[in-house]
Amino acid sequence: MNPLHDYLTLQNRRQFFASAGLSAGAIALATLGAPARALAAAQPVPLRVHPGLAGFPHFAPKAKRLIYLHLNGGPSQLDLLDYKPKLAEYFDKDLPDSIRKGQRITTMTSGQARLPVAPSMFKFSQAGKSGMWISELLSHTAGVADDLALIKTIHTEAINHDPACTVVMTGSEIPGKPSLGSWLSYGLGSENNDLPSFVVLTPVWSSKSAAQALFTRMWSSGFIPTHHAGVALRAQGDPVLYIKNPPGVDRSSRRAMLDGLGKLNELNFQRMGDPETQTRIAQYEMAFRMQASVPELTDISKESKATLDMYGPDVTKPGTFAASCLLARRLIERDVRVVQLLHRGWDQHGNLPNDIRAQCGDVDQPAAALIRDLKQRGLLDDTLVVWGGEFGRTVYSQGTLKKDNYGRDHHPRNFCMWMAGGGIKGGVTYGETDDFSYNVVENPVHLRDLNATILHLLGIDHRRLTYRALGLDQRLTGVEVEAEVVKGVLV
Amino acid sequence: MTVGLGMALLAGAGTRAGAAVAKKVDFNHDVRPILSDNCFACHGPDEKKRKAKLRLDTEDGSRADLGKGLRAVVPGKVSESALWKRITATNPDDIMPPPESHKKLTGRQIEMLKQWLEQGANYKGHWAFEAPKRPAVPVVKAGAVVRTPIDAFILARLEAQGLTASPEAAKEALIRRVTFDLTGLPPTLAEVAAFLTDKDANAYEHVVDRLLKSPRYGEHMARYWLDAARYGDTHGLHLDNERSMWPYRDWVVKAFNRNVPFDQFTVEQLAGDLLPKPSLEQLTASGFNRCNVTTGEGGSINEELLFRYAVDRTETTAAVWMGLTAGCAVCHDHKFDPISTKEFYSMYSFFNSAADPAMDGNSLTTPPILKLATPDQQKKLDALEAKVSAIEKTSRELAAKLAYTDPATLTPPPSVKRTESVWVDDDFPAGAKVTASPGEPTQWVTAEKGGRVFSGKRALKRSDKGIAQDFFEGGPAITVPAGAKIFAHVFLETNDVPKSVMVQFHVGGTWSARAVWGDQDAIDWGKKGTNERKSLGALPKAGEWVKLEFAADSLGLKAGTKIAGVAFTQFGGTVFWDKAGLSAETNPLTDPTQSLAAWEKENQGKNNKELPTDVREIFRSVKPADRKPEQSKKLREYYLENVCATTRPAFETLRAELNPLKTERDAIEKLIPATFIYRDLEKPRDSFVMIRGQYNKPGERVYPNTPAILPPLPKGDTTNRLTFARWLVDPQHPLTARVAVNRFWQQFFGLGIVKTANDFGAQGEPPSHPELLDWLATTFQQDGWDVQRLVKLIVTSATYRQDSRVSPELLAADSENRLLGRAPRYRLDAEVVRDNALFVSGLMNHTIGGKGVRPYQPENIWEPVAYSGSNTRVYKQDAGDALYRRSLYTFWKRTAPPPNMTTFDAPSRESFCVRRERSNTPLQALVLMNDIQHFEAARAFAQRLLKEGGATAGERLAWGFRTATARQPSAAEQSILTESLTAQLTKFQANPEAAKLAIAVGESKPAADLNPSELAAYTLVANLILNLDECLTKN
Repeated sequence: MNPLHDYLTLQNRRQFFASAGLSAGAIALATLGAPARALAAAQPVPLRVHPGLAGFPHFAPKAKRLIYLHLNGGPSQLDLLDYKPKLAEYFDKDLPDSIRKGQRITTMTSGQARLPVAPSMFKFSQAGKSGMWISELLSHTAGVADDLALIKTIHTEAINHDPACTVVMTGSEIPGKPSLGSWLSYGLGSENNDLPSFVVLTPVWSSKSAAQALFTRMWSSGFIPTHHAGVALRAQGDPVLYIKNPPGVDRSSRRAMLDGLGKLNELNFQRMGDPETQTRIAQYEMAFRMQASVPELTDISKESKATLDMYGPDVTKPGTFAASCLLARRLIERDVRVVQLLHRGWDQHGNLPNDIRAQCGDVDQPAAALIRDLKQRGLLDDTLVVWGGEFGRTVYSQGTLKKDNYGRDHHPRNFCMWMAGGGIKGGVTYGETDDFSYNVVENPVHLRDLNATILHLLGIDHRRLTYRALGLDQRLTGVEVEAEVVKGVLV
Repeated sequence: MTVGLGMALLAGAGTRAGAAVAKKVDFNHDVRPILSDNCFACHGPDEKKRKAKLRLDTEDGSRADLGKGLRAVVPGKVSESALWKRITATNPDDIMPPPESHKKLTGRQIEMLKQWLEQGANYKGHWAFEAPKRPAVPVVKAGAVVRTPIDAFILARLEAQGLTASPEAAKEALIRRVTFDLTGLPPTLAEVAAFLTDKDANAYEHVVDRLLKSPRYGEHMARYWLDAARYGDTHGLHLDNERSMWPYRDWVVKAFNRNVPFDQFTVEQLAGDLLPKPSLEQLTASGFNRCNVTTGEGGSINEELLFRYAVDRTETTAAVWMGLTAGCAVCHDHKFDPISTKEFYSMYSFFNSAADPAMDGNSLTTPPILKLATPDQQKKLDALEAKVSAIEKTSRELAAKLAYTDPATLTPPPSVKRTESVWVDDDFPAGAKVTASPGEPTQWVTAEKGGRVFSGKRALKRSDKGIAQDFFEGGPAITVPAGAKIFAHVFLETNDVPKSVMVQFHVGGTWSARAVWGDQDAIDWGKKGTNERKSLGALPKAGEWVKLEFAADSLGLKAGTKIAGVAFTQFGGTVFWDKAGLSAETNPLTDPTQSLAAWEKENQGKNNKELPTDVREIFRSVKPADRKPEQSKKLREYYLENVCATTRPAFETLRAELNPLKTERDAIEKLIPATFIYRDLEKPRDSFVMIRGQYNKPGERVYPNTPAILPPLPKGDTTNRLTFARWLVDPQHPLTARVAVNRFWQQFFGLGIVKTANDFGAQGEPPSHPELLDWLATTFQQDGWDVQRLVKLIVTSATYRQDSRVSPELLAADSENRLLGRAPRYRLDAEVVRDNALFVSGLMNHTIGGKGVRPYQPENIWEPVAYSGSNTRVYKQDAGDALYRRSLYTFWKRTAPPPNMTTFDAPSRESFCVRRERSNTPLQALVLMNDIQHFEAARAFAQRLLKEGGATAGERLAWGFRTATARQPSAAEQSILTESLTAQLTKFQANPEAAKLAIAVGESKPAADLNPSELAAYTLVANLILNLDECLTKN
């Protein structure tokens, strides 16, 4: 924030409200949110608590908001979206050296005597007008295939979870960089004065295997000011930390406390003249409004039965992927800029068929429902939805290999993600891998290219979204290799 | 004063706006920032990215012939300079910077470059790389205001811009400010009163001296340093398990309290281990570069991790001591500063031989560590260790002597046979935990004493009226082989027959399989008719030994199932049990308990968690063909001792001796604090330039050295970290002292003299007061790097003692307060916000040091994000006093740090941080209003208001306001507080139940002698006071 700018704006507002004969508390209230809307006639431009940067967006955005469904652990592209019919004849044969080409593999399988090929045991069929190949595990997703652009050639350098997740979320393996959502909040600002601009949901998962950890750095703002950090809404306890008044303190008590606080802070502002004091008054009022808006957000009692049914039976259980998808739609409706779901449990080194079935049971129907629900409300036109993990999995089996049971190790060289919504061409399958889903053979898309594409759809030239830190104009897409927007998936 | 003028003033303050004034252009101040930001990326130090062979960061480069006599810079001749032509070109193909760079020079910048060319285009080395010269203290008009030379420098700048300093702050504001700045806590009312009444001219200096002596001083100063040191209580990556590092944290606190000179502070942290006969303290200090995040993630590649750790250590050291963003040179020559990749890796080679392993083992004590045992503990440990290693040696010798032939190597191969393995006969398995319930302890009887014995010397006996049992858990798990039959021998006394007997199995963490003979309903555990309670027949015939036997899978105990415990249960009667175990048909060729080869095959490439780490790692990451002889030997020894059915019994006695010793040793070790220390490998690793920063692409070999732009290392026999650390604090070093004083300055004024405290390079901001910075740096060095002396110098300056009121004029002229025409005013740091509430409420527990504590934290901060197997997955809140410790002592889990800290901009401590953000958000308001910690503090504070504040509401409110802000409320303020109290009283008197709830928040108990409604009303007002902008702000 530019203190001078804020000071002058506040001075102007103060004069405006003073002439309207309003009290200090009312000024603070009116600075933000609902009452401001009531005063819209007198207010030519609606006030935004966190406006974007000057000059942003750089061009007309195709999407205004982002929902990012992150499937943490490395979902197997081979069993979900990268159809490899020729593998059947390679069952339990060694991965040919001509394919592996001596590429590094993790120390979890580097000690294995063989690298036997494990064809997927799941059936694939063609979906939608384009005939996109989709596994039986994602039958609901197949129903919205015409809205999806499937990218089969996403790749990354990181081969282990911790660094790979850090790359997916922040564009760099080194902890400490801002996350995608923080960059968007910083560049574009928030359209909602009652809720954070970047919200994170961490739903529960069904496969019983040990799940990889999440890190708050995955939604942190790094070196960007912290009010751009993601706010994790929680399924258990208060949805927003500390949102509830302590026991015995009701809303009117809190209001009375805030009235006194606002007046005293206003006196303090008059004494010390520090614009930060004015900001603080406004932030307390926003906190008070959040205490009302957050419970309203999470109250789904007014959702129609048809809508709830679409998301599936889990939708009424707080903290499930289904409930989180519905919540994501409600957040988007309220113009929250970025909603990120981080669903864990996709790290199937062994017992993959069983576990991936459980995981798909969590996400398939709700993710498809989310697309349909956004569409029926006209929100899909300007909301971008992204689906995918931090890397893929190997064609060779880790551990015991049977026709109907196998495991797969980490594979960063190619994996699948899909995108849908604002600016995305539906029914597109982009990029191709070899018959073993081991190497990209056509149209590689690095994660930084994906990020550049996301920014592009939100009206941002990724080269011009920068923040000066550690002596550099830092960018989400890095400064080393220039990222490229993936034109092939755009309308 | 207009805004426009303000901008111009600021430009003079050293920003890049570059006011076009017809004065002598200063290269470092006026020109380098423009060139660095717009040109150096392609025409700078990075040779690989350099375009058109033009280099603009050096004088020679700028004048070089680019072909056909074309020169970028022709001194004094603007129109002949290619630089001028290109920056003023209109053709997009010619203009510089090129459009695709998204950089554009402003009119003022172009004008500045023109003047520079006109005036001869002189170059100067970057200011930060030239040793500070001691400047003369300027003479100023407002000389009467000057208390220290600092003030003269500050006033000189202010006067040059036509501004004046602010008057001295009120005494109340002053004591509050300096108490927060030196101890992180507010002054008490008594301290305020003493200062107000002290008419001594040096009253303020006396306060400062008192504060510098307080142990709170070291705690507060340490907090800033721990951000830089990236201190945390967990490893920071993947499992993010706990690590024992807190003795290092306590060392930092002590070092500040003892006023250890900064040069010594530096050397001990970077190379304490290399000092001659290092003390425990010096070794502890060397933990600085063990604070980096580490991983134990399966699948990681060792070389990559070692590379990363060394890079982190180099980068952190360069940033913390030299303000250099050396990290850029990991992949390529630095684009803006003269640090080549070769120079980076030369520095890195000082840190590339660290002895800590690539994989931290997710251990609390990843070596090398220092055990801070008491002498008594050490003596006991040594004695135990001697015994343990003697037994282990015997064990290894036994393994070497034992005749073992792998059946898989026999010709002809042995045939399949039925073998028995016995769990219980004369005793329970070694290492198992035995329980009898209820009633008598476990009783073994012999035939001589009238017992019934089936085999061996003794049998189990139990008599009871109801359900009773003997059972064991733990010890080595029993793996059920294919086709196994489980058996147990039982004898029922004819004159005291039980209703039923039952054998139970502990599987998968619970007692889940039960076989019952006799009355199925007598013992009603588990679901009848399922494996949880399955009837296997009638009660055995009494008066004789009966072998109970059944197929393991008839009870759902399939092959591979691990049985962790067995229970022998009865309902009533007198029962003897003897010889229990299982039998199975085994093929010696494929049975891992008989064939070493089969066992190796079974485990190869797997991550079998039941094996000890060293054995597991051999299987997991080494192919059989690649095994070293000692690795094969290790596997064989382990096998014979622990797995092999024929040889394992031979080790039984040794194990029985060893296990209690190990248990005792582990128990003592648990009590001894440990801390990570730095050590080098005996044989240093070779270092190479890593091409494009890739761990597996070594290029040119490099040797320990420092960047050429900085003074050379002293010549000597050895060049190691100690040489490097001493070089940093050499008087000739241009950066260390400047960077250090700048950070201390930043601590007191909110912004450093160099605003980019982490970047003193070309891309950093030039200092707002370059002469002051150099004066402070040289003073610091001359005073023997005396930190307290520097701190005192700063806080006793007139500059520091100014009023902090922000006048519209000052705001417009200098919104960031870079010129310091007033004292800084900003929100307290995360830890201080919390500590303040604990302090004024009287709840604070002042214990110094020790292991991190776990105060209030909302549910589900750790659990939803943590790795399932992490030992910091479940947050177990402490109780009692530990809830009220200073925030410095809060356990710091780096992947999920405490939310009431991060909400106030505390860094995650995953990487170094030398300057925190300072945000102002609604989430902060929510913490301060609703966090249990803060609301409980409000109630405790309210109690103080009621008990210590006076007899009337008015007195009490004024007392509370004064305690929190150090000043008397005005009449207007007093009346708002009264109004608020009245409103809350009305509410809570009407609803005493709500009042009781409100005052019960937190673990401490509300005072029983106070009226709940009144206390609740005061609690809300106390909550209000603790939320005041003034209370949260350093004024």
